[in-house]
Amino acid sequence: MEVEDLGHHISRRFNEELEQVRTSVLSMGGVVETQLERAMAALEGGDSELGLQVAHDDYKVNQREVSIDEECSRILATRGPTASDLRLIIAVIKTIADLERVGDEAEKIGVLAARLAAEERPSNNYREVRNLARHVQTMLHKALDAFARLDVESALEVVKSDDIVDDEYNALYRQGITFMMEDPRTISRVMDVTWVGRALERIGDHAKNICEYVIFMVHGKDIRYTGVAEMEREVRRAARESER
Amino acid sequence: MPARWVSALTRLALWLAVAVVLGGVFGAMSWWLSGALALYLAYTLNRLYHLDQVLQGRKGYGLAGTTGLWAELFGRVDSFQVKAKRRKKKYNQLLREIRESTGALHDAGIILNPDREIVWFNKAAVRLLGLDRSKDVGQRIDNLVRHPDFIAYLEAGGEPVTIPSPVDGEGRLAVQVIPYGSGQSLTIIQDVTRQTLLERSRRDFVANASHELRSPLTVISGYLDAMAEEPELQPQWGKPIGEMNRQTERMMALVAELIELSRLESSEGDAERELVKVPELLRILCQEYDASPDSPAVKLELESDAALLGNEAAVQSIFRNLLSNAVRFTASTGEVVISWRSDSDGAECTVSDTGIGIPEEAIPRVTERFFRVDPGRGRPAGGTGLGLAIVKHALQRHGGSLSISSTLGEGSSFTCRFPADRVVHRGG
Repeated sequence: MEVEDLGHHISRRFNEELEQVRTSVLSMGGVVETQLERAMAALEGGDSELGLQVAHDDYKVNQREVSIDEECSRILATRGPTASDLRLIIAVIKTIADLERVGDEAEKIGVLAARLAAEERPSNNYREVRNLARHVQTMLHKALDAFARLDVESALEVVKSDDIVDDEYNALYRQGITFMMEDPRTISRVMDVTWVGRALERIGDHAKNICEYVIFMVHGKDIRYTGVAEMEREVRRAARESER
Repeated sequence: MPARWVSALTRLALWLAVAVVLGGVFGAMSWWLSGALALYLAYTLNRLYHLDQVLQGRKGYGLAGTTGLWAELFGRVDSFQVKAKRRKKKYNQLLREIRESTGALHDAGIILNPDREIVWFNKAAVRLLGLDRSKDVGQRIDNLVRHPDFIAYLEAGGEPVTIPSPVDGEGRLAVQVIPYGSGQSLTIIQDVTRQTLLERSRRDFVANASHELRSPLTVISGYLDAMAEEPELQPQWGKPIGEMNRQTERMMALVAELIELSRLESSEGDAERELVKVPELLRILCQEYDASPDSPAVKLELESDAALLGNEAAVQSIFRNLLSNAVRFTASTGEVVISWRSDSDGAECTVSDTGIGIPEEAIPRVTERFFRVDPGRGRPAGGTGLGLAIVKHALQRHGGSLSISSTLGEGSSFTCRFPADRVVHRGG
């Protein structure tokens, strides 16, 4: 399915509705991205007020999920979409669930940042976590871009980059354990930092899921990636999902 | 009738005449006539076939062996084609130049159609927003630039917004949408990362420097107070110490205002929405200023008992600064009037005086920090040069605006307007 294929509908209204749903998902994605960015800014700047504000603003994400969900149900009920339209609606429903979870993780980071603001800051100002966050933010951004462009290839790239995030999280985790063994007084702080890392790692997984929905949505026509075993496996998985 | 048509008809007539003559000589007139017409038709069709080929741009068709009407037609088609080719070349070159010049722009430009789909964008848009030339034409812009502030700006308009760069987390982009034609719009995006950083470091510097200045000043003023009250103080020190005290106080006021200003600047978003009882606030302020004997008379005109939703300290600082300015620049024989009124569009507070006034060309600049209308005019005692800057920022945070009118030598009038959504009309 190419982007233009969305444009060939007998009913113009239906077409507009599908486009609108897609745009709503992406604008929800924008809100989630901003939440994550603010949560990290709160951690980096030791700004407890901002952290709590992020936690409070999570309702905006939830509201959007509910309204997109309703819209999808309405389209399913009244339009009875088939083939690629049906896949689009299913992918949207799944994507917003993941985005909502990303929002929840950002909320967690906000709360943790508020708590960490009261503690002594490490000399490198959480550099490892910030690195991890940068990777995860890029992943999420690219995942949403792939969703917008229905771009399977960049979706596959994001899926593959999740390994780096997992590695970074593991390194952070091990480093945390070393700190705690060296100096038990740091335990509560290091635990909180590890929880931030954990939340980021989960966000990476959600970004990966979104990319898989993109592959699922596009799959069914014109698969252009050849050779790389990884890609084929992902595509096969997408095929399995679409049969389900 | 044009000559070429006359000659074409003459030829047909001649041709038919020949057929008639031959028919007359050899008999079977109708066969001769139909034969002649068939030949004429075949010739015409053949020319039309050639014309068709020429119009399709095929080589090797056209003029050869043609005369009269057909020759002229082919000539005309040919000259049309030459002209069209020349025009096409010209437009292509123009287009190339436009494309090159917009490509060289530092700011990103994106043309959107009424459905907010991307029609065209330049190279800078690729760099600043990470757009993709092969995929993004026809895509809705809000699918790719997803920052909530940007989307709100696209939907509602208003002041241009600054958003974080989607490509590089540290970058800051200023976005402006300029509508034109029937629903199209041009989006201009400027990289303001450097300006933002500079602005931030300037703000941080002012805030830090003021905080650092405050503690030594407190110590100095404490000792000066103690010295002034010392009974064994030698009389010749009385005046210097008094002067030092006044100057220290002035410096402390300056530092306090700098801190207030930097706090106003760095606080993001709109002010809180606490209930501020403006009439009571104004009454207290007027009493404060009316009491001193050297100052002009201060008159309060309350035409409304509306209250404001805002930050009480900030609102108080707005009124206090306006009032103290008015009192400072007005002779003790003059008059200062402060009024409060409200209507369905909001509420406004006007402070007008009969003071020295502001020259017209200086009015737009009086809210700049440390701006002096006339360097020779000096700064009357107590003024720090920051009052109106504070008023402007505090008003901005409340969604309000400040308008100033003044006549040199006759007086000035400062009006601050608050929007309707911040005004509460108290029943009864």
